[in-house]
Amino acid sequence: MSLENLLAIQRLVRHEAGRAVVLKLLTAAERNLADARVTAISAENRFDAAYKAILQCAMAALSAKGYRTSTSQPGHHQTAIQSLPMTLAVDSATVIVLDALRKQRNLTDYTGDGVSDALLAECIAQAESLLRHARATLGEP
Amino acid sequence: MLASLLFGDYRQKVLARLLLHPEQRYHVREIARLTGTSAGTLHKELARLAQAGVLTREEIGNQVRYGANRQCPIYSELAGILRKTAGLADVLKDALSTLRERLTLALVFGSVARGDEGPDSDVDVLLVGEIGFAEVVRALHEAQSNIGREINPVVLSAAEFQNKVAGGDAFLAEVLGGEKIFLIGNENELGKLAGDPASGSA
Repeated sequence: MSLENLLAIQRLVRHEAGRAVVLKLLTAAERNLADARVTAISAENRFDAAYKAILQCAMAALSAKGYRTSTSQPGHHQTAIQSLPMTLAVDSATVIVLDALRKQRNLTDYTGDGVSDALLAECIAQAESLLRHARATLGEP
Repeated sequence: MLASLLFGDYRQKVLARLLLHPEQRYHVREIARLTGTSAGTLHKELARLAQAGVLTREEIGNQVRYGANRQCPIYSELAGILRKTAGLADVLKDALSTLRERLTLALVFGSVARGDEGPDSDVDVLLVGEIGFAEVVRALHEAQSNIGREINPVVLSAAEFQNKVAGGDAFLAEVLGGEKIFLIGNENELGKLAGDPASGSA
């Protein structure tokens, strides 16, 4: 699946956002990652913040290529994560884990089940690594 | 493996796929593709299973489709056997084999363990051990297409498991009190972990 294919099936739309938007998203990701490290709040909210940082990195990378996800289509988080190999050359073993984090986030939203230490640690570690990679590829502010 | 004691290789594969997805109807070629067998050999096997009433067989135009026959008197028993063996538990045990030493306990809970899973139900798996979430996700990834369902792992360290049980965690109380299919460890290990060997729950 290429970005062009995702555009053709309307999972992505063309969107020339400009560099300021890319950098704004990366700054937001940084802020959310910092929030994810705050131990005074619940593991769920820390997890949500780390996940949000991952998503913002994926969105920033799409923006840099002149796309955004089509929010009128269901599953736009999934599209953003699945586009990472094309936007930031993220390997498939990592995408598998990022996509699993996405599913976990959906589940915790509607089951009310808590977030385990292992799940939170993974989400923060993945957010850190993706943000570092996105910064290196898309540029420092 | 228990299933191979009871059924031949083809029969195991066919029954596992069809009985554990009872809402679906499949063409012979589809079954061959999903089970990694050959359509030629499957025809006879499927016809026999349909004749015995284990499967339904319907002809639409020139296409024949097979599916689970839930009216079969032993449908739920057969599905239960396959769930605990070749159709699900064995696939998961296999997938977890490289992580085995670091896991104290692994079990299936939720709708699949109860046998009331719907077409879109995930397989819920609880894993207790010193292990990362990513390792578990990667280890189980391929099993998803094998089983034809998404796998939803919950990974806890032994200490975290014990703390949660002691704290009356609602999620774990539900898991401990519900149906389970053990993949690693058994009721005994679970009781010991949960700190109440007599009841196995807290």
